[in-house]
Amino acid sequence: MAYDQDLEFIYYGPTRVVFGVGSSREVEVEMSSLGCGRAVVMTDPGIIKAGLLDVVKDTLGKKCVGVFSDIPQDTGVGTVNRAADYAKECGADIIISLGGGSVIDTAKNVCIILKEGGRCEDWQGLGMLSGPVTPHIVIPTTAGTGSEVTFATVLFDETKGQKVLTNEMFNAPRVAILDPKMTEKLPPLLTAGTGMDAMCHAVEALHSLQHEPIADGLAIHAIRLLSRNLPACVDNGSDLVARGQVQIAALLAGWSFGNALVGIVHAMAHSIGAIARVPHGTANGILLPHCMNFNLEDAVEAYGMVAEGFGVRERGMDDLTAAKESVKAMKAFTKRIKHPQKLSEVGVKEADLPRASELCMSDGSILNNPKMVIDSSQVLEIYKKAF
Amino acid sequence: MALKAFSQEWMDAWLKSIQTSQEYKEIAKEWEGSVSIIVNPDPSKGIPDPVYMWTDYWHGEAKDFHYCDKAKAESANFVMSGDYIRWKQVAKKELDSTKALMQGKLKLKGDLTYVVKHVKTVNKVVDLLAALDTVFPDD
Repeated sequence: MAYDQDLEFIYYGPTRVVFGVGSSREVEVEMSSLGCGRAVVMTDPGIIKAGLLDVVKDTLGKKCVGVFSDIPQDTGVGTVNRAADYAKECGADIIISLGGGSVIDTAKNVCIILKEGGRCEDWQGLGMLSGPVTPHIVIPTTAGTGSEVTFATVLFDETKGQKVLTNEMFNAPRVAILDPKMTEKLPPLLTAGTGMDAMCHAVEALHSLQHEPIADGLAIHAIRLLSRNLPACVDNGSDLVARGQVQIAALLAGWSFGNALVGIVHAMAHSIGAIARVPHGTANGILLPHCMNFNLEDAVEAYGMVAEGFGVRERGMDDLTAAKESVKAMKAFTKRIKHPQKLSEVGVKEADLPRASELCMSDGSILNNPKMVIDSSQVLEIYKKAF
Repeated sequence: MALKAFSQEWMDAWLKSIQTSQEYKEIAKEWEGSVSIIVNPDPSKGIPDPVYMWTDYWHGEAKDFHYCDKAKAESANFVMSGDYIRWKQVAKKELDSTKALMQGKLKLKGDLTYVVKHVKTVNKVVDLLAALDTVFPDD
């Protein structure tokens, strides 16, 4: 594959990874190795109901000084501030997040406030941190977000009615513990949706204007693992081998897009998610094939790599044919895992689309899309096709 | 004659080029607000102290470009900071400013969504800066 002569990039992926069935019991050892003794666990009510918190609390014993669980889907600035106040009251010297993307992103922003002070809204910008934040160990309970290894977060800003990005090198979690048991109880629909989030991270990293060889390699292998193992997870949630491989894929995709960044699919998913409250992974999964069609001529080589990951690129196949095959394969894959196919199936109203198109134009992700998006009418057209 | 980077003459020339650009007026008609630029010191490159520059824009007009103190720089709607070498790369168009932000080579304090929405304005301002005949302290 060709890269420009002026290729230059910075790859950054400092998170330690612990993998294995039952590895969540390593949390106390990992915490001690960081020199910490007072953990606040961030989680959500669904995780508690599923009994997953008990494992972590039992392992931590008295080192768990508090649990904050009032974290909704699409976490926001207000939630972060309340969680940070609680963690301060508890005297936390480490945050352990046990959950999906909203829980992890809440915890990441709490770590900023614990170290730097102020309120969540004081940290709008890019690269504002003065040094490493309060240590953070992540135990994901979904396999998709990749947030366990990225330094980016997405928060809902209640005052703007928009999802806002942060990108802080110093905010990468110290440790990610991938325990397949923690995703075993995810229902099929959520497994498919979060899995498509990971798929989307990998594809967007490949077509991003900032793609580079390390991120490309991670993304291709993530697609390979997802295409072979996500259907098994949807069919049989107790298949811990497949669950583990999908967790690894999500992590690889996280490292990939954390460096190469994402494009129009995420900008559109953030925007429609903010308006219609569509789960992020589900919005990504519905929009991805449509956005690939939109980008096709400007991302032929990238989608050729997607075809390789899917195993649909035959020997001697040219890039354009391979790219077209990748879009077909993606569409077929979403059907195979019984993923929703249209925005109208997941609560979006046609009237939401113009506003979402406007919001999309101010989402940072759109800057990295391979095809330049000049105005919101182009975005609206894609939304309509996906509606 | 080449202008010395970070001199008041250089800032004046940049301001004038923005004020006289019809294309800028059209692109930037919705932009409101000040942007400060902070250049971190690098004595080995001829920048012994931090440089604080204030630039202000309002609906297609460039209003006021001058040096300021740290407190004023930090009060701008948008505060962009970075090492001298990064700013030099931006000013010579060797480094895309939005890419530099995303890669952590430059820092931004302020509303990123606003900047993204008006990225054409940002790019035009940088283009006009790059068009100046500039000599840098370490050239």
